[in-house]
Amino acid sequence: MTSLDLHVSPLGRVEGDLDVRVTIEDGVVSSAWTEAAMFRGFEIILRGKDPQAGLIVTPRICGICGGSHLYKSAYALDTAWRTTMPDNATLVRNIAQGCETLQSIPRYYYALFAIDFTNKNYAGSPMYDEAVRRYAPYVGTSYQKGVVLSQKPVEVYAIFGGQWPHSSFMVPGGVMGAPTLSDVTRSIAILENWKDNWLESDLLGGSVDRWLENKTWSDVLAWMDESESHYNSDIGFLIRYSLDVGLDKYGKGVGNYISTGTYFDPSLYRNPTIDGRNKALIGRGGVFADGQWFEFDQANVREDVSHSFYQGSRPLHPFEGETIPIDPEKAKAQGKYSWAKSPRYEVGDLGAIPLETGPLARRMAAAAPNAAPHQDADPLFLDIYNTIGPSVMVRQLARLHEAPKYYKWVRGWLDQINLKESFYSKPTEYAEGRGFGSTEAARGSLSDWIVIEDSKIKNYQVVTPTAWNIGPRDSADVLGPMETAFVGSPIVDPEDPVELGHVARSFDSCLVCTVHAYDGKTGRELSKFVINGMV
Amino acid sequence: MASVLWFQGGACSGNTMSFLNADEPNVVDLIVDFGLDLIWHPSLGLELGKNAQKLFWDCAKGDRPLDVFVFEGSVIEAPNGTGRMDMFADRPMKDWVTDLAAQAGIVVAIGDCACWGGIPAMEPNPSSSTGLQFHKRNKGGFLGPNFTSKAGLPVINIPGCPAHPDWITQILVALATGRTSDIALDELQRPETFFKTFTQTGCTRVQFYEYKQSTMSFGEGTRTGCLFYEFGCRGPMTHSPCNRILWNRQSSKTRAGQPCYGCTEPEFPHFDLAPGTLFKTQKVAGVIPKETGTGTKKLSYMAAAAAARLAAPDWSKEDMFVV
Repeated sequence: MTSLDLHVSPLGRVEGDLDVRVTIEDGVVSSAWTEAAMFRGFEIILRGKDPQAGLIVTPRICGICGGSHLYKSAYALDTAWRTTMPDNATLVRNIAQGCETLQSIPRYYYALFAIDFTNKNYAGSPMYDEAVRRYAPYVGTSYQKGVVLSQKPVEVYAIFGGQWPHSSFMVPGGVMGAPTLSDVTRSIAILENWKDNWLESDLLGGSVDRWLENKTWSDVLAWMDESESHYNSDIGFLIRYSLDVGLDKYGKGVGNYISTGTYFDPSLYRNPTIDGRNKALIGRGGVFADGQWFEFDQANVREDVSHSFYQGSRPLHPFEGETIPIDPEKAKAQGKYSWAKSPRYEVGDLGAIPLETGPLARRMAAAAPNAAPHQDADPLFLDIYNTIGPSVMVRQLARLHEAPKYYKWVRGWLDQINLKESFYSKPTEYAEGRGFGSTEAARGSLSDWIVIEDSKIKNYQVVTPTAWNIGPRDSADVLGPMETAFVGSPIVDPEDPVELGHVARSFDSCLVCTVHAYDGKTGRELSKFVINGMV
Repeated sequence: MASVLWFQGGACSGNTMSFLNADEPNVVDLIVDFGLDLIWHPSLGLELGKNAQKLFWDCAKGDRPLDVFVFEGSVIEAPNGTGRMDMFADRPMKDWVTDLAAQAGIVVAIGDCACWGGIPAMEPNPSSSTGLQFHKRNKGGFLGPNFTSKAGLPVINIPGCPAHPDWITQILVALATGRTSDIALDELQRPETFFKTFTQTGCTRVQFYEYKQSTMSFGEGTRTGCLFYEFGCRGPMTHSPCNRILWNRQSSKTRAGQPCYGCTEPEFPHFDLAPGTLFKTQKVAGVIPKETGTGTKKLSYMAAAAAARLAAPDWSKEDMFVV
């Protein structure tokens, strides 16, 4: 394919760490390739280091999800060193992880996603002027408030963890500090203020509790019509605008999902183990594939490098994982095209398949039957999945839905802290061990596998949500989830394919990404534009 | 006001995320009140109009004036000096850095990776990462020791992993309000106004440091004591304003019971995170800290410590940061 004219859409930023190539035939995307363009080699750096080095190093893989990196690397060590976890430590870790996500939801939504509502392709929409008024970068009323107030939840993180981003305050056996009374009361006040001044006033136009009563898509539509403030809220606007401009019509994706789950019930995870993990989760994990639910088991994860810039002949489980980079120029001759590996998951008869991760995947896991009393049981998105099907809009709605949900959870955990009890239990630093830790970062499942030998790291493998979603084809040439989501997208204006931007951004891939669109028949490059991201 | 172009090399976006936590001014204030012309930033929405890549080239060729070039992340030179491990806008990022640094009025490195290589440059440095004008403590880095920008300045280093948002926003406001000449740099090219003091300056545990009273355990153990003696805290040897200008307006690592890792110094991560070096004070003969506060002499330190322990009042052995 030849590269011809460069066109940058009015909202496009330039190109960056993720290149997306798509071919368009008869106004519809016919295939796609996602190419991660940067390599730093963290897994190589970690080898031979102190067993706890992941607590310092892995948050620096991604400063957007740094707290999530810390959370799962701490649990990887907890399982390897068989620690004892005080209830308060579990609560503080939950609070911190929850606050990072509460920060990410508005920051991502306004700064990265909603600005596309102001694309000139939508100028014909009767709601366009309102979209510009609310979401134009820097000056939009919702943009300003949402982006600026996104800093509030991580103030709570800083109270417990010293700072956000890049704290390392979670350690095997608990957390480093012990809050005082005013640490807890101030945290509550910050969260309440944020709830009053953004979550309820702007996002929902009503109460958190009323929104969380919605169990079906028709409930959501009824909720919208219930009051003017619901109707005019940012979530109301997302739904109305999406239906008007068709964001409910494309970006379906693979339709199969993975969530490793996050947040533990303190009383059920006092001795963290890999096997005991699923039962202790509040935000459930699970795989939803081919219309069925499966329990998540880390043993079923594989990483395929057949189209990635690494050496390796077969998919490996992360405990046996390798990271051996090769020069992209040489690798391209072997058909490789990305620095991301391709995570796959063995699901019974379906084999090793690509799975989408992220808020929608968490919502599908939360709809599985047989939730224990401490676990999230939330049927809303299963109904939406069955009624209108996944799409760009549904992925966004799932993300926003988590803001009121996690706000409630974090508030509850703050109330459960017993200031007079312990926050740390000193572990035995065993010289040998294997650990697995995982969490749900705002943008999806994030996991570490650590092998400790001779009191140092023998192997360390990290599988990120971005790898799950934007990983390239596997050895069977099966497309990755984001690649699949592009296919079938209608392109109204091939010179300015804003639809591709919506699909790419709906995955919140935390990469700056460039979309190159090619004519599938002639190979002519139709346009190239950039979607900004968070790395 | 100043035009700013912000690029990311071998970066995690942590400095950008930190920047978005800024208040007084926040990001919107910088643009609306101080007229900051953010030509492009990887994570922020901008009305760019068409052909943004042309904009980069316009800046790189000097056709469009560029007042400030901000670089976040390491400069990646692998494999074999080609820079192909970090491609951006159809060419190695390092080539953009060369061109843009040559045209910019001022070049700012934000975060450790851009200043001195940071975590990606830890051994074995798989991406051959380096900083803009330093590699660790050695002057040189990618642009070389003699580099100066059009304004005649070397690279301004705003280190930290990440940098605190004020460390850059206040500098931007200083540039906007005619105070450029008030910005003095230290030998590592850091603004002295932030990096003359120690992380320990303003630490709530400093009284325990004075009386040599140690924290003995994480968690509730941090309700008392100083983290320097057992937990490897680098507050007395690290230059930063972390306890003068609080993080997220709330706290700091040491206030929250976490040792300082010395992340504003070029050696971070210290000891290359070798086994046994994390969260543990490195000692001689199991007792005496190998490193003591900057400028202190070992013998006088020991004498002062012995006297301080004798002088320690009872309250210094009790919990202070109580429920």
